[in-house]
Amino acid sequence: MDAFQGLMTGFQVALSLEGIMFVLIGVVVGTLIGMMPGLGPISAIAIMIPITYGMDPAPALVMMAGVYYGAVFGGSTSSILLNAPGISGTVATAFDGYPMAQQGKAGKALAIAAISSFVGGTVSVVMLMLLAPALSSVAISFGPPAYFALMFMGLTAISSLSEGSTIKAMIAAVAGFMVVTIGIDPQTGTQRFTFGNVNLFDGFDFLIIALGLFAVAEVCMLILNRKNRSLSDDQKLGSLKLSKADLKEMSGPVSRQSFVGFLLGVLPGAGATIASFISYIFEKRIAKNPEEFGKGSVKGLAAPESSNNAATSGAFVPLLSLGIPGSGTTAVMLGAFLVLGVQPGPLLMTDRPEIFWGIIASMYLGNVFLLILNLPLIPYLAKILSIPRPLLISLVIMFSLIGVYSISFNVFDLYMLLVFGALGFAMRIFSFPAPPFILAFILGGMMEQAFRQSMTISNGSLSIFVDSPLPLSLLLVALVSLLVPAFLKWRSNRLAYKQR
Amino acid sequence: MKKTIFASVLTMSALAFAGCGSDDTANTGGEGGSFEPSKTIEMVAPAGSGGGWDTTAREVARVFGETGIIDENMTVINREGGGGAIGWAYVHGKEGDAHSMFVASPPLMFVPLNGQSEHGHEDFTPLANMIADYGAFAVREDSEFEDLNDLFDQMKDDPESVTVIGTSAPGSMDHMQFVRIAKAAGVDPTKIKYVSDQEGGALTAVLNGSVDVFSTGVGETIEQVRAGNIKVLGVTAEERMEGEVLSEFPTAIEQGIDESFVNWRGFFGPPGMDQAAVDYYEAKFQELSESEEFAEVREKYGWNEMYMGSEEYNEFLEGEKEEIAALLEEIGLGQ
Repeated sequence: MDAFQGLMTGFQVALSLEGIMFVLIGVVVGTLIGMMPGLGPISAIAIMIPITYGMDPAPALVMMAGVYYGAVFGGSTSSILLNAPGISGTVATAFDGYPMAQQGKAGKALAIAAISSFVGGTVSVVMLMLLAPALSSVAISFGPPAYFALMFMGLTAISSLSEGSTIKAMIAAVAGFMVVTIGIDPQTGTQRFTFGNVNLFDGFDFLIIALGLFAVAEVCMLILNRKNRSLSDDQKLGSLKLSKADLKEMSGPVSRQSFVGFLLGVLPGAGATIASFISYIFEKRIAKNPEEFGKGSVKGLAAPESSNNAATSGAFVPLLSLGIPGSGTTAVMLGAFLVLGVQPGPLLMTDRPEIFWGIIASMYLGNVFLLILNLPLIPYLAKILSIPRPLLISLVIMFSLIGVYSISFNVFDLYMLLVFGALGFAMRIFSFPAPPFILAFILGGMMEQAFRQSMTISNGSLSIFVDSPLPLSLLLVALVSLLVPAFLKWRSNRLAYKQR
Repeated sequence: MKKTIFASVLTMSALAFAGCGSDDTANTGGEGGSFEPSKTIEMVAPAGSGGGWDTTAREVARVFGETGIIDENMTVINREGGGGAIGWAYVHGKEGDAHSMFVASPPLMFVPLNGQSEHGHEDFTPLANMIADYGAFAVREDSEFEDLNDLFDQMKDDPESVTVIGTSAPGSMDHMQFVRIAKAAGVDPTKIKYVSDQEGGALTAVLNGSVDVFSTGVGETIEQVRAGNIKVLGVTAEERMEGEVLSEFPTAIEQGIDESFVNWRGFFGPPGMDQAAVDYYEAKFQELSESEEFAEVREKYGWNEMYMGSEEYNEFLEGEKEEIAALLEEIGLGQ
């Protein structure tokens, strides 16, 4: 069956009454769960699995896929309004989304996020449809040395994620590296910094750190500045309408980062989180006015939002065409497939075309539903900000606690949330930036594992990183992105000196 | 002392049980009165949603309910963390609770032997084993290795030239099943190069040629073999498995390597569970194992039937543990 015919089969599934209904149920449930701080696609999918028992696989999986990308779509809401990311993929959304909401432009921020998500989601579905079979070879092209180089490239961005002191950004990043080493080392099985405490064996879940450093720390700041009334007066919804200038500003990042996000989503292990960070950094690097980033930049919000949604569709490439789950969320998705008796893998497309193409076709529909659903909701969502401050603070803390508890139902994690909250608060007060910490935490773990896997494979020879073209070129990009800004700075200093 | 009494009670009840027909659902064991669950039974999966333990627990709970073999509700709860250690510590704290159990497999042995859990299988009450799964060693379709002996000969000549990848940590299942078979073939077990990829990249690394051998469960290989991406050099089962594709996989034993490894999966109660309750669950699990509904589940996931009652299970585990502990010691991972 060729792709076109397959897609027609897919649309027959997606556009049947049953198909439309289950896509709708999926995206509504997903987006609602995703909007809650701390609850993301993993919780959403896990909650929905028992519901699919006994259902026909095609509509059931169309629904589960809807839950997944719906949760990513909705995940930006709590990042923007409360600085409390619901999922790791929307941490970068908070960098500019939250400041924008603080400036009284919450409605606009939510609208930008919704439109960017929609474009990212739709562009990536088109690519998924056209390229899924071909892309499965891209998904497997990355071996450990290439992953190391990719993560290294991401890390060179630490300096650009910082405002002010580069030294402080570096210190924060080193702290992030240190924290990610806690737990049982996967390559040797040795415990590192666990103090024999079984709760630390798996290290820290990303969400504990993100909610601690962002949501809890933010709450502390709000309490500290409670006398400062001016903030809450400013926190109005603001106009929903995007000006032509806004749309024009968005168009660049959204169109670029939809592709970047999709490609990174295809790589197992990279996923929406890394995609959103790399997109954010990418846009900041090429922006004419990078100093706006972190202070409510339209580009800084549009980039990660289009990227994380695109990456979500991208993650379906290895899942559907190889049967490889590239992340925790897709691993749970894989479980949902197996429960329904469907084995994703290279033969899914020929064995069960109605499922393979049904899911892809339903994503077009799902993204349209999400946009229609989310845009009218924005005024109501943004009203969250007019909740009296003490109540809002309590709600954020409550949802953060629920979110962390729902990861593994472990009370110990709640204490750790408070510890990281205190750390985040201290970092704020002494103006250490949190994003480098988070970035180092995300990339550091994978980078270390990839490095050590490579070293084992090569019997300890570093040449493995430059012997094949893929890691070599990624490392060169990293080198260039480190050297060029330094060179430009040196030259402008020199020019300024000469002119004097 | 306590253990001997426990074991002898087990023996007696197993004998009593052996005398009863398996269709006798009211059988609750001959010793110490009878037991019927009086409230919801808590089934712990010491891992997150979607994995092997979670799936087994959920399917068992579902079929128990649908067939009415156990009337009382069964709810599955996930206690994730530490490769199982957090879930085990949780169940260990429910000493004597006859309404609690958990699903387990060889990591219950590997993890404590690696010093990563205070609790091992001997700290719990074995109820019944249900399923057997086996390991497979796969290479890329175009690999020069045609069978296990090709691979192991190369590893004997030049151990540094072959890298094995698996999903579990060193000293755990994917690693040790390979070490066990390779050692039996005469490979120096201390020289095996094993890397772990817990982020889902293991299969990827084999497909793109970064590593040579993928040590995994047979179920993980079927789709890739059918698609012609990889070939399975050998499996750890004792005999040829049944089923499409599966029956094409040669065992290590067929290839002259006299060793096997079974990835057993069964259920354990908290320490000190009442004998009457053990007898009750043992009978119920046997009934489940023999039911048509559960046969369908096994077929769906490609699992093999391997029922063992409480006492037989315990003996089996003791034997396995001894062997694994010696092997871990040899490669320098034992504690």
